[in-house]
Amino acid sequence: MKKILRDFIFEELIFVTEPSQFSDDENLLEAGLDSMGIMRLIMFIEDKYSITLPDTEIEPENVQSFNALEQWILKYKKG
Amino acid sequence: MSKNKQEIIEPLNFADSFTLAMDEEIRKDGLPGSYGCFALELDDRPDIETLQHRIAEFSQKFPVSLASLQQIGRHFYWCKRDNLPQLFFNHICPENDEGLDFQQHTINQIINRKEKRESITPIEFHLITSSAKNTFFMRWIHPFCDARGADLILQFLCTKDENKRQQFGLPKTEPLVNIQLAKYHWWQKIILFFKAKIYIAKLDKLKSIQSFDQNKKKESASRNLHLNFDVQRLTESETQQVIKQAKKAVGLTGTSLYYIGCLMRALEKMYPEAEGDAYCTPYAFNIRKQRAITPMTGNHVSALFAQAPREIIKDRNKLFTHLKQQNTGVIRQQLDYAFLPLMWAGSWLSLKEYGKILRLSNGTDNERSSFWFSDVGKLDIPAQSFPGTEINTVFHVCQVTTPPTLAFLSCIYNNRLTLSYNFIEPIISLEQIETLHQLVLLELLD
Repeated sequence: MKKILRDFIFEELIFVTEPSQFSDDENLLEAGLDSMGIMRLIMFIEDKYSITLPDTEIEPENVQSFNALEQWILKYKKG
Repeated sequence: MSKNKQEIIEPLNFADSFTLAMDEEIRKDGLPGSYGCFALELDDRPDIETLQHRIAEFSQKFPVSLASLQQIGRHFYWCKRDNLPQLFFNHICPENDEGLDFQQHTINQIINRKEKRESITPIEFHLITSSAKNTFFMRWIHPFCDARGADLILQFLCTKDENKRQQFGLPKTEPLVNIQLAKYHWWQKIILFFKAKIYIAKLDKLKSIQSFDQNKKKESASRNLHLNFDVQRLTESETQQVIKQAKKAVGLTGTSLYYIGCLMRALEKMYPEAEGDAYCTPYAFNIRKQRAITPMTGNHVSALFAQAPREIIKDRNKLFTHLKQQNTGVIRQQLDYAFLPLMWAGSWLSLKEYGKILRLSNGTDNERSSFWFSDVGKLDIPAQSFPGTEINTVFHVCQVTTPPTLAFLSCIYNNRLTLSYNFIEPIISLEQIETLHQLVLLELLD
């Protein structure tokens, strides 16, 4: 799952010099993930995993890293 | 006009054509055209030699900065000139003049200077020096670049390491609007095209509120119309308060919507009698990846609208819930990218026809925009990076059509939110803007 997220974020949303050096815990918001990027990422996730992520949960703690994103997605994938 | 193919440097992409149609509309009002500007207020006189060297390096690396805009057939192109234009100007305040007045006067002259489109230099760099203040002022015509590109040009000029400067604009790519549009099959483009048309038709059902008395335009000869601007800078603690309130009001969907909503409410408080059903503002979103240093030139944007009916404006919570839902809905339905095929189709129209479609609600003479809006967010140019001095503050300026007569621009620099009100005098006065700002401030700080 993280590979899919990494590919989408680094190909479409944020430029980093060395994507492979960007750890799963590193802060995506500090790396430049902005509001439009977050919305686009959510649309991508919902489409990819056929889930709905509630707007009320669009919080920094859920989108700030690849690990956080994975946890958030799994919460709805399981349910 | 006949031009040899050899003289063409590059064609305008279809997002550039979109901005060119607005340039034509601004010119129709007797104003200079679609200029965008960044002003860097400096701590001291900079190292002029280094600055000039970097500007020369920039123009060599991006020769389109020296080009002339020419129409060939239906389309427009950046073409080579016989004589290279001057890009750098140093304005020195005479000893007897008052420095601050000189700064303001010089900037007003630069933003209000009228020139034929073909003779305009795509980008100019002005250093305005006086004992009281030093300002680096960059003016570009919008088909040349968008605000993010202008930010990248400033970053280029503020990069000391030559090797790092060489990385700007690399790898060279096709215009991002072309790349994005090419991702869709032809039938998907048609679906997007009609989606966008339906979306605009829905927006047009509500007549956009025009707050300012356009009769003053008729009373005033068009030669008297001119752009003025008022820059208001919040303190660091006020900025923190605004960011906190924005997060509370619109969450992570962005502070831009918060600024838009606050201005809508302020306008409604100030002009409750203004005709119309809803406030509507277009805003561009950038297709570049965040933190990317390419492409530098050209426009790589698509458009979105924020619209709020009058009855919702009155209730702060309802307004922000509405704007947030509208923004989410637009992205969920892919309406953000739906404007790309529409912009592509528009690039085949004459500027006159295109401008009309862009501005007027379908089949009426009603202007769709209640005001223009642009938020460049947090600028990442380090204060110490300017050659020979430090950057104290930054603001940006742009020309605007009449109506809507007002463009509201925002950025954050050195942890301070800067609001730039750009307005056309005498339709709007500075006194009106000062009153409006007090209302905006109350809304922002809640």
